[in-house]
Amino acid sequence: MMQSIQVEGREVPLDKEGFLRDLQDWTPAVAEQLARAEDIQLTEAHWEIIELLQQFYREFELSPAMRPLVKYIGQHLGADKGRSIYLMQLFPPSPAKIGSKIAGLPKPTNCL
Amino acid sequence: MSLHIVSKSPFSSTALSDCLDAFAEGDALLLIEDGVYALSGRMSERPAVQPVYCLAADAAARGLQIPDSVTAVDDAGWVALCAEHNPVVSWFK
Amino acid sequence: MTKRILALCRQAPYGNALAREGLEAVLAAAAMDQVADLLFCGDGVFQLLPEQSPAGIGQKSLQRNLQALPLFGVEQAYVCTKSLAQRGLDLEALSQGQLPLVPVDDSAALIATYDSVLSF
Repeated sequence: MMQSIQVEGREVPLDKEGFLRDLQDWTPAVAEQLARAEDIQLTEAHWEIIELLQQFYREFELSPAMRPLVKYIGQHLGADKGRSIYLMQLFPPSPAKIGSKIAGLPKPTNCL
Repeated sequence: MSLHIVSKSPFSSTALSDCLDAFAEGDALLLIEDGVYALSGRMSERPAVQPVYCLAADAAARGLQIPDSVTAVDDAGWVALCAEHNPVVSWFK
Repeated sequence: MTKRILALCRQAPYGNALAREGLEAVLAAAAMDQVADLLFCGDGVFQLLPEQSPAGIGQKSLQRNLQALPLFGVEQAYVCTKSLAQRGLDLEALSQGQLPLVPVDDSAALIATYDSVLSF
């Protein structure tokens, strides 16, 4: 059965794990709603990671696994934020997977 | 007049050279999929036969420029070539 | 001691699935702390051509995917110079991205230094 969420009067289809079927459907309002489903309240700290996840995807056409995500965040936001524990606090329990989902990216294929 | 369609790289398959051996005056050659890598080597400057067509999306996908001596076609152009020629010969292996 | 693994990338990027499968295998191995080296040879060197735009054939750019390798711990990739020459290419014709390319004249000698070789 196909799942979907209602965002601002629009029906947005999801796959069975809750990832967007079509990346074009992503808007900040969609992100808010996907985050709520994960019990996450998006803050400034979340948004800067979401933007970098989307930048990563534009650059490499891949959703990042945990290690490359940590490294990439470190390169762009400094060593304080380029740490698993920091990302774990923002997007528990699996930052690459949960972060990618909220950012509207496909599920990371190498997410073990 | 035949249309010959080649879909394999000339560097890892004999499809193109086999096709050229069977190419007659008045025939046409269409490069698709990995067949477009024929544009990467010496052939790009001076094609062995004429006319040569190339599926534009397949060349763009692979980062290849289409030289002036080769005509770029889209899917509709491909269908038109098939309709204009008989028989259509596939060199897919 | 960790086994040294080489992924032999021999296929052009979009005509069949092997090039992508090879990259997936390398990424999966890296996620498990097994960093493989890569040697591009044969039609595999075509994976490194710049400005690949495969959206028109419904695929993702393998060349862009490869640029992510340094983030996965793969710092460089080897390229067979003989394969380049056979295809009328040189190292400068390839993508000058984030993945540094190291030319290799003697592939056999390089391959001989590995414990395992995966061929794609």
